[in-house]
Amino acid sequence: MSRGPLVSVRGVHRSFGSGANAVHALRDVTFDLTAGTMTALVGRSGSGKTTLLNVIGGLDRPDSGAVLVDGTDVTALDEDGLSLLRREKVSYVFQTFGLIPVLSAAENVGAPLRLARVRPGERERRVALLLELVGLADHAEQLPGELSGGQQQRVAIARALAASPRLLIADEPTGQLDAETGLSVMALLRGVVESEGVTVLVSTHDPTMLALADRVIRINDGHLTTEPSGGRAGS
Amino acid sequence: MLRLAARRARAQWPLLAALLAVAVVGPTLLGTCALLLTRTADQALETAASRATSGQIDVTAYTITVRGEDARSVADDTRAVLTSALAPFATTTAARASSVMRSFPADRQQAGRAGVAYLSGVEDLPARTQLAAGRLPRAGSAPMEAVVLESTARRLGLAVGTRVRLGTELADDPDQAAEVRVVGVVRPLPGTGWDRDPLAAAGYDPAYRDGRSVQPVHAYGPFIVDLPDLLAGGSTLARLEITAHPDLSSPARRDLDTVTETVLGADRRLGRLLGDRVWIERVASQLPSMLLAARNQQQVTAAAVLAVAAIGLVLTATALALAGRLSAGVRGDETALLSALGAGRGQLAVAALAEVGALAALAAAVAVPASSALHAGLTRLPPMAAAGLSADPGVNGVQVLSVVGAALALAAVLIVPSVRTVPGLRRRRELLARSGTDLLLVAFAAVGWWQLRDQPAGSGTPLDAVRVLAPALLLIAGSAVALRLVWPALRGVERLARRARGLVVPLAAFEAARRPQAIAAGLLIGLGCAAATYGVGFGATWQRSQQDQADLSVGTDLALTLAAPPAAGQGAAVGAATGGVVSPATDRGIAVGQWLGGAGDPPRLVAVDTTRAEALLRGRLHEGRGWADVGAVLAPSTRAAGVSVPAGAALSLVGKATGTTPLTVTPRLLFEDATGLRTSCTGEPVPLDGRAHPLPDCATAEGLRLVAVSLPFAITPGNVGTGSSHALAEPQAGNSRVAVTITTPGTASGPPWTATSAEPAPGQLGAPAVTLTGTSAGTELRMTTTVELKGPPDAARNLIATAFPAPGPIPVAVSARFAGEVDARPGSRLDLTVGLTPVQVRVAEVLPAVPSAPGAAAVLADIDALSRALAVRGDFDVPVDEWWVGRPTRADASVRGTDLRLGAVTTRASETARLTGGPLRAGLPAALLLLVPAAVLLMIAGVVLHVTFDLRARAVEVARLRGLGMTRREIRTVLLGQHVGILLPLLATGAVIGALATRVVAPLIVRSDTGAAAVPAVVPVWPWAAEAALLAVLLAGCALAVSAVVVVQARRADAAYLRVAS
Repeated sequence: MSRGPLVSVRGVHRSFGSGANAVHALRDVTFDLTAGTMTALVGRSGSGKTTLLNVIGGLDRPDSGAVLVDGTDVTALDEDGLSLLRREKVSYVFQTFGLIPVLSAAENVGAPLRLARVRPGERERRVALLLELVGLADHAEQLPGELSGGQQQRVAIARALAASPRLLIADEPTGQLDAETGLSVMALLRGVVESEGVTVLVSTHDPTMLALADRVIRINDGHLTTEPSGGRAGS
Repeated sequence: MLRLAARRARAQWPLLAALLAVAVVGPTLLGTCALLLTRTADQALETAASRATSGQIDVTAYTITVRGEDARSVADDTRAVLTSALAPFATTTAARASSVMRSFPADRQQAGRAGVAYLSGVEDLPARTQLAAGRLPRAGSAPMEAVVLESTARRLGLAVGTRVRLGTELADDPDQAAEVRVVGVVRPLPGTGWDRDPLAAAGYDPAYRDGRSVQPVHAYGPFIVDLPDLLAGGSTLARLEITAHPDLSSPARRDLDTVTETVLGADRRLGRLLGDRVWIERVASQLPSMLLAARNQQQVTAAAVLAVAAIGLVLTATALALAGRLSAGVRGDETALLSALGAGRGQLAVAALAEVGALAALAAAVAVPASSALHAGLTRLPPMAAAGLSADPGVNGVQVLSVVGAALALAAVLIVPSVRTVPGLRRRRELLARSGTDLLLVAFAAVGWWQLRDQPAGSGTPLDAVRVLAPALLLIAGSAVALRLVWPALRGVERLARRARGLVVPLAAFEAARRPQAIAAGLLIGLGCAAATYGVGFGATWQRSQQDQADLSVGTDLALTLAAPPAAGQGAAVGAATGGVVSPATDRGIAVGQWLGGAGDPPRLVAVDTTRAEALLRGRLHEGRGWADVGAVLAPSTRAAGVSVPAGAALSLVGKATGTTPLTVTPRLLFEDATGLRTSCTGEPVPLDGRAHPLPDCATAEGLRLVAVSLPFAITPGNVGTGSSHALAEPQAGNSRVAVTITTPGTASGPPWTATSAEPAPGQLGAPAVTLTGTSAGTELRMTTTVELKGPPDAARNLIATAFPAPGPIPVAVSARFAGEVDARPGSRLDLTVGLTPVQVRVAEVLPAVPSAPGAAAVLADIDALSRALAVRGDFDVPVDEWWVGRPTRADASVRGTDLRLGAVTTRASETARLTGGPLRAGLPAALLLLVPAAVLLMIAGVVLHVTFDLRARAVEVARLRGLGMTRREIRTVLLGQHVGILLPLLATGAVIGALATRVVAPLIVRSDTGAAAVPAVVPVWPWAAEAALLAVLLAGCALAVSAVVVVQARRADAAYLRVAS
């Protein structure tokens, strides 16, 4: 099966502040992401990883350049269009898990399905499937505060997969986890790519995680310092 | 640490400003209440005193039987005592004196019959009389110059220039005869004290009794001479009264306190000073009781104002506790960091104390001028401005102390959350403590309510701690308990929301139901809403109760209390002046069998025309019962028709008696005017000699009807009215058949008349009968009977002819207290003594209270029925004390009624205004004006604080919702739904608590102006429209506050937060 680019980033600039105090978070960033692959975005803190993820996911707008996700120009979308994009095509996994504290694990996973107004029966079936997938079927009714960090992140991944997104963006998903748990989370993401065919863009600064990625994109001071390469593709 | 606190204060000034704003409210409220209770209270007492009528503040000394040689010194000493008692107020005095009766022999130069007469001296005569002829007497003339009343002049044929010789005094040590020269004829002006004249300014009494003669005598007078002449003339004074009028136009409270004491002691001082120069002396004044009652009333108002202040303080403390908790939450990380760095609790406490102390100082510094300004503004609003209590901003010690105390107490509330190092660890213990506090509050509230419910019905202690604290306790306990009930409700909503398909509504429900912090402001919101709705409900209940009390205490729409017995036709003038339904009314003490009631609290008799009860009577009845229903039970079935007598008609009497014993009769006629007023007219003793004798000019008004005639027959001839009884030489025996015919130009109508022989010796007359015959001259009323001559000459032989049958026991309605005191129930028969006449009554109904007799053991009767019962017993003196006017149509009815100068006018409206807006009462509505806005403001401030802190704490979470793909609109909906979902039940429970407090507490808090339980019983009022408007304002205010914060928060929910978080 031929795989075309799901995401195309072209000449994206993003800066914060103005004049001499301006911080250039992204400078002329251009690359593509192939559908059904897992790409690691690597860089130091403040290198522009999160800004780039937010721009691709429509949480932030570039000053210039274009971002196409599944053929949709993200930069041309209005607020509602961006929300629709995140609801239907792009999911997030945050470093701090981003779970809603008052919702149980199952309810957190079901939230995107509720947003999509999936029927309750179908929703419950899919939630159960996803929790099974992330190995938390026995923890469905527990609140995030009652779960460990790794479990929370698994719930976050299950939630991100709930609405069957085309692109899953994970911002330092292992940043709050110990090495072993982080590795298992990355393995889970890898498994998702394999089983669900989801395109995953994950930012990390942990070299041990890179082995699981199909590609590695390095960013430094807003620039892509090397052409996308490495990972499983490069190894 | 202190430096850190200072730097933190600079950095977090908006937070501290918010805390300061909340902290200022309570002390400001308390400071304002302190000013209301001190400065305004003094001003209110002074204003009330300055507005008091002369009758309320005048001090009158009565001295009885003063020897002639002592008269001047007694007068001087009495004036001195009164003036000193009223010091330091400037005082004016007015004296009035009457001599003892002197013999008044028949003189061929003067008309009339022999009898008695008296001299009088009246100061300020021009203000009390209108000169009809001649001039007023001058001092020092010989013989003494005198003016006489028109009626005296007419009766005695006196004219200006006539000399009149008065005989010796009828006293143990009589003065010599006196001669006066008439220099003028005057008319007495009503309402100027003539009711205290021995003959009540009638000028003549054909049957005067002063206890010196067996028979009544003719009495004439007064012969009004110059007062100093009278005092110096050697006449023995039967009575000397001196009235002192203090100038209370700008009294000081301290002086009023002094006067209260000195007037109370004036009687004793006067007695000591006058010694045996007088027989009886007494100083009477309403001034001390009025001032004491005013202070009592102030305390009642003070209790209510303090209750309002207590609620305000509890509200502020709650708001401040919330603000403290929220700010501690914001500073949680900082506190944890400081603890981690090694800062001990003591250091944290020092820093918190410094901050809180500064906050308290600032709050007090702001609250003192703020409360002064608020108080000044409040006094310019209607309740207080109308009461004459407007004041400029001012500061006093009590206010400053209250403000500082409140600021410190409230600041202490902030310390506890500030020194918590690890808030989370204490959660379990806190929850337990909170539950315990809730239970304690409920227990205190229950005890408070129980104490309130069992407080004495009497005045008790007007300023009672329970009455002050109970409402605040009940409100906060109710709110705390209600808060516990909100959780299950939200859980229920949450369970329903789980089944929903979308995310927005369920998420809002989940957030509302599952976040403990979601109802952090719950107590404040519930309490604020409860306090505001209670404030409105209590205000309405209080207003309604005052109106009910006014309705019942006046008894009718307008009452004119007569200074002198009414004259026929007077009711028409009252009706014309007021434009309402007019009825004569009786309102006086009676005896019920042997029962005279408590000391100073005799059973009351109230009688009016009950055929017009619906228009006349006011006061609350049992449910479903109207005054028309009561009136229908009490009124006679038919009106007494009688014989109409045109105004000025000449009536004559012809009497015949068989036998040789000469008999006389002194006819007494009872007339009824169009308003139902019955007045009697007594003729001269007439011999039954078969000749026509003119009767006196009785028909003095249009529309009179003759409804009864009394014919007391006397055996002894020639001595009636002279005071000297000539017993017949031989005892009489047998009987005499007599026939008396009264002819009047009028026509008769209605049922036949009834003739009876009056009590107490009805056997002295036999076969009494009466017939009416229409003739060309009018109507002849022929009465026949057989007079039993045996027995004492003075024995009653009184034929009574009436246009109505003997009424039997008259139906009456009695007050619940009366029924309780004498164990009366419907159907009970009782004997009342009205004046000296026994009247049998039958209890037809038991009322909660009788109009004009709130809380009294009282009887309500129909005045027609009462008059009939008295008349058949020969008592034609129908006791009329007032005119009652129902539904007056003239806007100025009160003023016009007063202008009639018949007596004091009281209206329901004026009484309601006095009770609700009088200077001594205006403090309460003013305090309520403070409470409701303060509650609303604090509540909304609490909502803003809570929502702001809540959303700030959840900013990242909100941003992540965007990450999930929610639009800003959906996020706004979730946040609004969450907060509205919490606010609505809290507002609803707050309103329910307010309503419950209004229903349960308000009736127990509202008291009468004496501090006793209000009569009628207080009915809780829940003004739906006002409460709905208030709730709408609360809801709109909260919704606006929440919306503003939510919109801002949703707008900020962008990648910035995600970046921070990630």
